[in-house]
Amino acid sequence: MTDLAQDRLRLAVAAVMAAAALLWWATAGFFGHELIAQVAIFAIFAMSLDLLVGTAGMVSLGHAAFFGAGAYATAGLTVLLGWPAWLALPASMVVAGLLAVVVGAFAVRLAGVFFIMITLAIGEMVHAYLFRSRTFGGDDGLGGIPRPDLGALGLTLDDPSHFSLAVLTLALLVYLGLRQVVGSPFGQVLAGIHRNEARMRALGCPVRHYKLAAFTLAGAIAGLAGSLAAQHNNFISPELVTWTTSGEALIVVIVGGMGTLVGPVAGAAAVILAGHYLSGLTEYWMFFMGLMFVAVVLIAGDGLQGALERLARRFGRAAG
Amino acid sequence: MLLDPTFLAIQFLNGLQLASLLFLLAVGLSVVFGLMGFINLAHGTLYMIGAYIGLSVARSTGSFWLALVAAPVAVALLGMVFHVVLLRHMQAASPMKQVLVTFGLIFVGLDSVRYIWGNYSHGIDLPAVLAGGVSVLGETYPIYRLFIIGLGLAVLAALHWGLERTRLGALVRAGVDDRETAAALGIDVGLAFFAVFCLGCALAGLAGVVAAPVLSVYPGMDMSVLILTLIVVVIGGPGSLKGAALGALVIGMAQTFGQVLVPALASVMIYAVMAAVLLARPGGLVRARHG
Repeated sequence: MTDLAQDRLRLAVAAVMAAAALLWWATAGFFGHELIAQVAIFAIFAMSLDLLVGTAGMVSLGHAAFFGAGAYATAGLTVLLGWPAWLALPASMVVAGLLAVVVGAFAVRLAGVFFIMITLAIGEMVHAYLFRSRTFGGDDGLGGIPRPDLGALGLTLDDPSHFSLAVLTLALLVYLGLRQVVGSPFGQVLAGIHRNEARMRALGCPVRHYKLAAFTLAGAIAGLAGSLAAQHNNFISPELVTWTTSGEALIVVIVGGMGTLVGPVAGAAAVILAGHYLSGLTEYWMFFMGLMFVAVVLIAGDGLQGALERLARRFGRAAG
Repeated sequence: MLLDPTFLAIQFLNGLQLASLLFLLAVGLSVVFGLMGFINLAHGTLYMIGAYIGLSVARSTGSFWLALVAAPVAVALLGMVFHVVLLRHMQAASPMKQVLVTFGLIFVGLDSVRYIWGNYSHGIDLPAVLAGGVSVLGETYPIYRLFIIGLGLAVLAALHWGLERTRLGALVRAGVDDRETAAALGIDVGLAFFAVFCLGCALAGLAGVVAAPVLSVYPGMDMSVLILTLIVVVIGGPGSLKGAALGALVIGMAQTFGQVLVPALASVMIYAVMAAVLLARPGGLVRARHG
């Protein structure tokens, strides 16, 4: 399959998923809308990690730190400082991005397992700090986070149907934006670093700068997801920043198909929905979730999107 | 108070005791990582299961000593099953996939423990010999904590002897140093991996049962210790016995003294220590691998 055909297939998958999401939104009730918002937020988070893991080849196990930074920034700015929520959203992305610059400046010096470990450690450091922080309510967290007032646009975001539609729209925008980034010269350099870092360096490419830029962008987008999560739950706690959140996102990215953007979105939906329905069935739902992770990692190979593309290739060969 | 020699001596012993536990946990993980580039995120889970099996054995037989033997054996068997059922078939897969499989197993292990033993936290009673205290510079110090330090040192000595003086030890060293060359020379690196993996599981189980009387036994005890163990492995330098011991000592002391000297920053301090070590020496304190 040519690159162009592969790209078209991904776009088609994205269109199908967007249509399915809209259909679901149109038919869903109160709880359905809550679930849609949850899926869309996790999808944004997973896509931001995919830019890092799939495109740039930087496997981070601490990405939840930036998700948490966005959520805590939103809580801090609105609840503690009284900023309006619409302003807190972009500001939270800036905060998460700035944290990513600082963390990235250290982390991009390391590679492979050491990169995984330092991101894990820094993520846990953020968790440990928030767990103890009096300002942010320690392990009790902080409540009363408002959603933006978009009455001027005829939207009442406190209504789950409006909020979930807004979050879905943002997820779509993030997808289209990241698609542009991956396809741009910047994205091509990241892909080159992923393939062969030593060669890129030999070509005179400032590898660390590119890695840091990718880390920062991914952090800022994770911050967006975090800010939305804070608004969605009206509540934040250090739970948001645990390393298992990072691990789940990593599984979603790898299982969905690294570097495809659409794969991680499908993976995010699968994990949230499976968690939702399993937890209604049994108290020990994490057991089955864990088994599912193991099975999917064993079976999926290059991810769901990869399997789909292999299938398409086979059909293409049969047709041509 | 801070510079009172008695106080410092007590804290030093506490630091050594924590280092001893961390060493038991880290050494298996570290050498397996050195051999195969594989990190077992479910290592903490094995520690937790060791603690629970120790708890059950101690409660049903009334013997702590029996628990001390049974838990490592049971956990090693569990590791063997894990290796035969899953890991063996994943040798060709990328290390990333192996890591993710063990990530999934964390949840399986956690809920299994909750299902079998419930959600409450438990403690194990000590035998009379270990229950008392001894006088250290005028303060009473629990004998049991000294026992943990002694056990850690004994395991370190035994492993050092095994690694330097036995045939299996030589195979493991060769595998860590250069896996391809070792395999080309006819060394069965897979077998060395299997042996080290099972031994690492046994030591994690031992750490669990040893920790049980000091820290309580509860679902989730695996998580708190896993991150510390990973940090020990990374700063010590993967694949090295000396590195695991050194890393455990650094983190044990940093954690203990951090908590008494700067309580507000203690939880952040170990991560800062790790970041500093990694930036100064990206391969860890001790390098086991050449080139």
